[in-house]
Amino acid sequence: MAATAMPKHIDYISPARQRGMGITFLLIGLLIGVFFAGSIGDGSMTTFVMTPGGSATVLADLVFTTRPALNILATICLGLGAFQLIRGFGRRTNLALSLVAALLIFGFLSWIASGGSLNLAGLLRSMVVRAVPIALGAFAAMLNERAGVVNIAIEGMMLMGAMVGALVGSVSNLWLGLLAAVISGALMALIHGILSIRYKTDQIISSTMLLIFATGMTSFISARFMQKYQYLNNPGIFKTWAIPGLSKIPVIGPMFFEHNLFTYAMFFFVIVLHVALFYTRWGLRLRSVGEHPKAADTLGINVFRTRYMAVILSGMMAGFAGAYFTLGSVGRFDEVMTAGRGFIGLAAMIFGNWTPVGSFGAAVLFGFADSLSAKLGILGVSLPSEFLLMAPYLATMIVLAGVVGRGNMPAADGKPYEKE
Amino acid sequence: MSKKLYSVLALLLVSAFVLAACGGGGAAGGYKACQVTDVGGIDDKTFNATAWKGVEDAVSTLGIEGKFLESQQQTDYETNINAFLEEGCDIIVTVGFLLGDATYAAADANPDQLFTIVDFPNSDPAKANLVGLLFSTDQAAFLAGYVAAATTQTGKVGTFGGINIPPVTVFMDGFWYGVQYYNQQNGTAVEVLGWNPATQEGLFTGNFESTDDGRAFAESLMDEGADIIMPVAGPVGLGSAAAIQERGNAWIIGVDTDMSVSAPEYADIILTSVLKNMDVAVYSMIEADLNGTFPGGTNFIGTLVNNGVGLAGIDGMSADMQAELQAIIDGINAGTIQTAP
Repeated sequence: MAATAMPKHIDYISPARQRGMGITFLLIGLLIGVFFAGSIGDGSMTTFVMTPGGSATVLADLVFTTRPALNILATICLGLGAFQLIRGFGRRTNLALSLVAALLIFGFLSWIASGGSLNLAGLLRSMVVRAVPIALGAFAAMLNERAGVVNIAIEGMMLMGAMVGALVGSVSNLWLGLLAAVISGALMALIHGILSIRYKTDQIISSTMLLIFATGMTSFISARFMQKYQYLNNPGIFKTWAIPGLSKIPVIGPMFFEHNLFTYAMFFFVIVLHVALFYTRWGLRLRSVGEHPKAADTLGINVFRTRYMAVILSGMMAGFAGAYFTLGSVGRFDEVMTAGRGFIGLAAMIFGNWTPVGSFGAAVLFGFADSLSAKLGILGVSLPSEFLLMAPYLATMIVLAGVVGRGNMPAADGKPYEKE
Repeated sequence: MSKKLYSVLALLLVSAFVLAACGGGGAAGGYKACQVTDVGGIDDKTFNATAWKGVEDAVSTLGIEGKFLESQQQTDYETNINAFLEEGCDIIVTVGFLLGDATYAAADANPDQLFTIVDFPNSDPAKANLVGLLFSTDQAAFLAGYVAAATTQTGKVGTFGGINIPPVTVFMDGFWYGVQYYNQQNGTAVEVLGWNPATQEGLFTGNFESTDDGRAFAESLMDEGADIIMPVAGPVGLGSAAAIQERGNAWIIGVDTDMSVSAPEYADIILTSVLKNMDVAVYSMIEADLNGTFPGGTNFIGTLVNNGVGLAGIDGMSADMQAELQAIIDGINAGTIQTAP
């Protein structure tokens, strides 16, 4: 049944947690009401632009006087905090927490955009786009680890997929490039599989080796061929395809229905992987191999074959994620262009508790953090830029540690299976 | 586990390291110039590539031998410099502010080896075997800011950098002052997004590799209304170019090298480029050393006057604009126009 794999919700809220939450809500209310609202002038206006640049769907800007709006937000937070302290939200505490967090973010944005304007729709759209490589990377890592194989070379496989995709895409077409990227990921995963399943190498070591190999190999081919001969490094990109009808919905349309192949693939894979892992025989077998391979073996599941399959599927996913960078984003390959997204993907998988939906949520959170930090830089918030780059991750960690709590790692993750 | 497997692993690892850092070539002429790149790589089309072009020019016209090592990460700086120390290079060219400390330390420890470094001052105290190659890029960026302010349709222009370090922010300073100067001369109110010279803070990707960041940042700036964007982040700017070309209706300003030459596929959206002629500087150092006039212990400063910096495509602009830019260049040379805080 699915419930076993879903993140464990806290059924019983301890009085300490209830009080802690209530006090947190009150403090957030005070922050908005006193610090934010207090630091801006009386007539200062906030403008939220609700149409992302380049979008055909135009919605009027949201303009309001900042201070009264912040006061309303603060009042709601204080009210929620008071209710939490007196009566308590019980099972709905996390819901209340999400609401307060949303109010805090909205208040924060209103505060920093006060006296100017901020493209809110663009921010939300950028959040979704920035989540794509992270989520796809997280799915790749998850397929592996659910079957009990650790692979920290997701980044390397993505890099390889990006390079091969650009190279093949340049000499043939985008679709063949994408296919080649997926195959290159699968081949690298096969090496990882042979080393870690057949030869029972330490999986961290063998995947680190693959990572270094991928970095060197892609840099070499890039420097020697792709940068010298431009026709080898000009694959073009998958064009944005707006879903007719749905993309016309204000804000929601540009956010979800005006993207290219890779973003739609992300939405598709969240659903497919969720169903496949938790509602099919295939998924049950895959998970059993990751949780208790001996028991699975006893019941007649071929542990090695299942693990090979999972590892190769993971490689294909990583190759696909890599293709995003060249075929979905910038249309050319440059050295180490994945810039750590694969590792963030690994983190998203862990925060997402080894589930597709959780990983997706964590990836979106990282995406939001990324796009918010860019907006703060543009708005000229007088904070050190290094802090702006770091703060979103810090906030993400606090949120995830506070709300998600302890993870359920597959029990046999990283342990080679020894058939007796 | 089998020994064979370990040897295969070891071989793969070694090949990876060898593949990751190799390069060079050129005619043997006795004199050897060796370049250590920053993490952007020799083919970043801007920063490292321009400096390497200086060595290549020297190879073809002066008949020397040129070699380079690419730094894959910051820990490679010292390793690569040491590798060249053992190779018996006549001059070691290091490219980038981030290599500054490693280069200075190496120059200190090896007084007989000549060094020259791009974007790092030779000071506190100056070493006799080192020359810092500095560029008044703010002067060229000032011109770009002026042109951008004259061109924008939305009244907003944007910029972002790789890392908040002086060689990057000097572009952004100049750009900002150029826009303000245009506003002051023409009574306009063109706004610069992404940089505040007073606080020295703004929009930064935090790296020089992620072209995907370049794309996202450009989209974000366009969302906020900017229609001319100057990315100061090496190859990251190519991601911005892709985003701008896809969305249309906006322009990009190249940095370090003439973007319409280095990335001709984006010619239709390139407004102009801020040139930092590192190739001229590196070449002149090699030439000076061959002539026995290596200016060790000093700094070379590239300006609009000595062609160390410049703006691309001035010839293609309108006669009015050319005249205005010439007046500004004269003003900068005379010191009557402020290009940096």
